[in-house]
Amino acid sequence: MLRNAGFTNMSSMAGGMKAWKGFVSSGPPEAGMAYFPSAARPEELIALAWSLEEGSRRFYGAVTGSIQDQDAMAFFQGLAGAEAGHEATLLTLYQEVTGDRLVAKIPDKLFPGIVPGEVMEGGMRVEQALEWITGKGISDILDLSMSLESYSYDLYLKMERTLTDGNARRVFLVLAGEEAKHLESMAALIEKRQSPDMP
Amino acid sequence: MSPEAVKELMKQKKPDEYNLIDVRQPGEYERGHIPGAKLIPITELASRLGEIDPAKPTILY
Repeated sequence: MLRNAGFTNMSSMAGGMKAWKGFVSSGPPEAGMAYFPSAARPEELIALAWSLEEGSRRFYGAVTGSIQDQDAMAFFQGLAGAEAGHEATLLTLYQEVTGDRLVAKIPDKLFPGIVPGEVMEGGMRVEQALEWITGKGISDILDLSMSLESYSYDLYLKMERTLTDGNARRVFLVLAGEEAKHLESMAALIEKRQSPDMP
Repeated sequence: MSPEAVKELMKQKKPDEYNLIDVRQPGEYERGHIPGAKLIPITELASRLGEIDPAKPTILY
């Protein structure tokens, strides 16, 4: 069927989803997309994404202050740092999209009706996430983090595919790329923590 | 294509350079899918081919 329709480069993944050992996201196809209105301008989408990154940065920063395990503390400090890096990437993208290279931060007027950083990637309110992790172990916090980051990666890819404005699509392509690198780093750090050599 | 090869392709190419299509049912997709995969159930594939760019490598699962 696909060959008759002109598809010459196609493959089916052996074993299907059951055989997949990488990142997994859940939820229906439209999950999270309402957060980014399709009619929004690219700079507005950047501001919304920045707000989510700030939420994640606040979450990881708060987690750092709530755990005793030194290695885990360093790990979450690294995650908070990575989110700050994403914010810097978004500011650079904002400067490119608007042509204003001198702007030092995303203008407050682009956050109408929302408190920047109140909601983190994955759509969870930061306060709700911090409440959830109270009394939980490091593994649970890591599972939550991976789940929310995978959701975010999935959302950015869906947005890139759905939008028609070239600049808006570029925003989400860049964000998806950053999230992919972030997820790889998280997976590597989690694997290191699970290593039998880890003290 | 092995899952490892799919992972490698996703690493080597930007998301807009390939099609990743989940041909399962909506409930299965909701329970867990590869991030970025577009859901087109197998029963709808023939009528929705216009949503996929034939010029790009296409992976189905």
